[in-house]
Amino acid sequence: MGHFNIPGLFLFDPLSLFFLSVIALVSAPSAVYSIGYLKGESSKRKIGLARLLLAIFLASMALVVSVKNVFIFLVAWEIMSLVSYFLVVFDTTHEKSIRAGMIYIVMTHIGTAFLVAAFALMYKYAHSFDFTAIKSASLTMPAQIRNAIFLLLLVGFGTKAGIVPLHIWLPYAHPQAPSHISSIMSGVMIKTAIYGMIRFILFILGVDSCWWGVLVLTIALTSCLVGIIYALMDKDLKRLLAYSSIENIGVILLGVGLSMFFASIKMPYLAVFSLIAGLYHLINHAIFKGLLFLCAGSVYKATGTRDIEKLGGLIKNMPQTSACFLLGAMAISALPPLNGFVSEWLTLQAFFLGASAVTGPARLFLGISAGLLALTGGLAAACFVKAFGVTFLALPRSRFAENAKEVPLSMRAGMFFLAAMTVIFGLAASPIVRTLAKVAGSATGIDVGKMAFCVNNFMLSPQPGRGIYLSTPLLCLILAAFGLVGFAAYMLIGRRKAVICKTWDCGYYKFGSRNEYTATAFSKPFRIAFSFFLLPYRKTQKIRESFYHIRSFEYETHTTKVFKKYIYEPAIALVFRSARSMKRIQPGSIHLYLSYIFVTMLLLIIFMHKF
Amino acid sequence: MHVIMLFGVLLSSYLMVATKRISALIRTFRYQSLFLFMATFAVALKERQAELYAIAGLLLVIKVLAIPHFLYRIIKRIRPSEDLGLFINAQLSLACALSFTWLSWVFTSRLITPPGGTQGIMITVAFSVVLAGIFIMVSRMMALAQIIGLLVMENGLFLLASTVSGGMPFFVEIAIFFDVFVSVIIMGIFVYRINKLFTHIDVNKLSSLKG
Repeated sequence: MGHFNIPGLFLFDPLSLFFLSVIALVSAPSAVYSIGYLKGESSKRKIGLARLLLAIFLASMALVVSVKNVFIFLVAWEIMSLVSYFLVVFDTTHEKSIRAGMIYIVMTHIGTAFLVAAFALMYKYAHSFDFTAIKSASLTMPAQIRNAIFLLLLVGFGTKAGIVPLHIWLPYAHPQAPSHISSIMSGVMIKTAIYGMIRFILFILGVDSCWWGVLVLTIALTSCLVGIIYALMDKDLKRLLAYSSIENIGVILLGVGLSMFFASIKMPYLAVFSLIAGLYHLINHAIFKGLLFLCAGSVYKATGTRDIEKLGGLIKNMPQTSACFLLGAMAISALPPLNGFVSEWLTLQAFFLGASAVTGPARLFLGISAGLLALTGGLAAACFVKAFGVTFLALPRSRFAENAKEVPLSMRAGMFFLAAMTVIFGLAASPIVRTLAKVAGSATGIDVGKMAFCVNNFMLSPQPGRGIYLSTPLLCLILAAFGLVGFAAYMLIGRRKAVICKTWDCGYYKFGSRNEYTATAFSKPFRIAFSFFLLPYRKTQKIRESFYHIRSFEYETHTTKVFKKYIYEPAIALVFRSARSMKRIQPGSIHLYLSYIFVTMLLLIIFMHKF
Repeated sequence: MHVIMLFGVLLSSYLMVATKRISALIRTFRYQSLFLFMATFAVALKERQAELYAIAGLLLVIKVLAIPHFLYRIIKRIRPSEDLGLFINAQLSLACALSFTWLSWVFTSRLITPPGGTQGIMITVAFSVVLAGIFIMVSRMMALAQIIGLLVMENGLFLLASTVSGGMPFFVEIAIFFDVFVSVIIMGIFVYRINKLFTHIDVNKLSSLKG
């Protein structure tokens, strides 16, 4: 077993430091935000409890990314899971929270079981829990064992990361937690699973089979598409964000998977570059998803509902929250010059560079993957146009939205900080990429000293001499210039032509919020386009007074959750069925239980020699 | 002498298996304990050990006097119907008990070679008493029968321990005596409570409690 000495327990290499900084970057504003968010929500004691749990949660996450001992890692991992469970069910007044917590804790423990199996296999060969010992022992492991460990780790960490089809808990648990916790869970906690994958698969095991990367890429692409399509369909603001987290985890895993792929076919430069793209998207997602969850929490706090069909027009009552949400939505939709754009651009470049470097079916695969990533980006933009447009624009759709007020300063402070980060991480792309190169180098064990990732502080160039450049400050200047020119032209020429009058409404004269475009209507084209996957069904009911006049009209539409219906529900039904058949020998009769013991004893005596 | 006492123990366990009434069951348990006491006392006389005398004394005080007295008090207090409630009728129960004795004889003859001798008889008796005890627990409905079944098993185990290992260490033996005594008191209180709450002590009906 070996004894644990404290200095030998921690590992502060660039990868750990990177993840520690991601944790700090999102947790600090969320913690500030929680001051205002929790006020008036519950009793003083419960708020104290919430702070304590938050502190334990952050400490356990920090421990997860900084220990170098598998055993301690597992303990910290489990503390993290349990504390986040308590935080999910924190709002105990809702039955939904309890249910969400149940799904979460079951799924997360299934994941942990896989991790334990993987670590046990590692221990069998290394005879040590230490990372370095396992790393050196991994060279001598037979190929099947390595493959088994890889698959176990993928399922184990994948459950926490929320990859499809193990994502089932994510859209339940993230929306039910208090918003600052959702922000940390979505922004940071699921990233610890990515840390686990990078640390254990890339760093410790080392990738030598090509199919590992291909498998991760396939899963990542599925997660991207499934996540964003579900996000498009959803009308609960926080659940929409949770689904979008699944998509973004997919994008991050595309970087990680590409890195595995290139590492296995001995292309160190591209391996490092892809990992940079993945890590960059990871930190970006932490920032903008944290921001969006905080904004969604503000909306919830101000209106008391998360259903975007009941919101609308909030931009007038909550201008600052709206501005923050808009910035976050733009970043997540990968609009330049914000941070989301840089990382998606890098990921796409990694695909293109990879596709031009390899030949045969791999080239086709990478090309198609790049296409699907682009599709994901487009759908993400549509999704956040819907989220922002329906929530913040037009007229309020209900009393909740009409009476909304701007949230207190402590909440806004958290949002402003993260909103500023989306801009900074977009503009300062070059120095960040250079820093991330060191992280990626240490994670993959490749010397990055000779590789050139950027030309100067303002310009980004993945491969010098290929003519591919990106400069976000320059882009920002160009956009600003265009904006200024447009504004000037409007001020000089177009201004007087404006005529203010009522919107034409076909002579109806009762134009109100009920005439507005709804979220369901907005997503209808996508529902039709992806009907093969969403399996939508609808129910309409008309009550007519006469042929011309319809008194009431009901319209109901739902989509089928394919994974839940065809994977999870049969599995759960199977468990219940076997439990019911087990119940037959457990009827609660004391005599029967005693006679089980008796009969066992008699059989043991009779068949003594057989055993 | 010792072997005769052992047959007394075995015979009283047959009586217990065949009896239909609660008070008779308690009385026969008292006889069994008495035979056990006499067997132990006979050994003590032969070996002349102070510890064996003490153990025999404890047997007399706790199993022959205190426990049956306590059980009598319970049935006087709660006045259950005399019927033990047999799942298996008396004749068949006796047949079962006889077959258990045969089974334990077979078992013993596999355990020790050559079969027979005092030790073989003791192990056989011990095993058949244990089996008879658990048989009483399984096949009788009233909660008091479960208590006595457990005590009979304990008697059998005592016998087994004293044959196989020449008796357990003195302190262990004392601890077991007090454990048995305390457990009887606790179970007695349970029976009393069950009777108060449900106005019966039929264990078979308790299964209606489960959700």
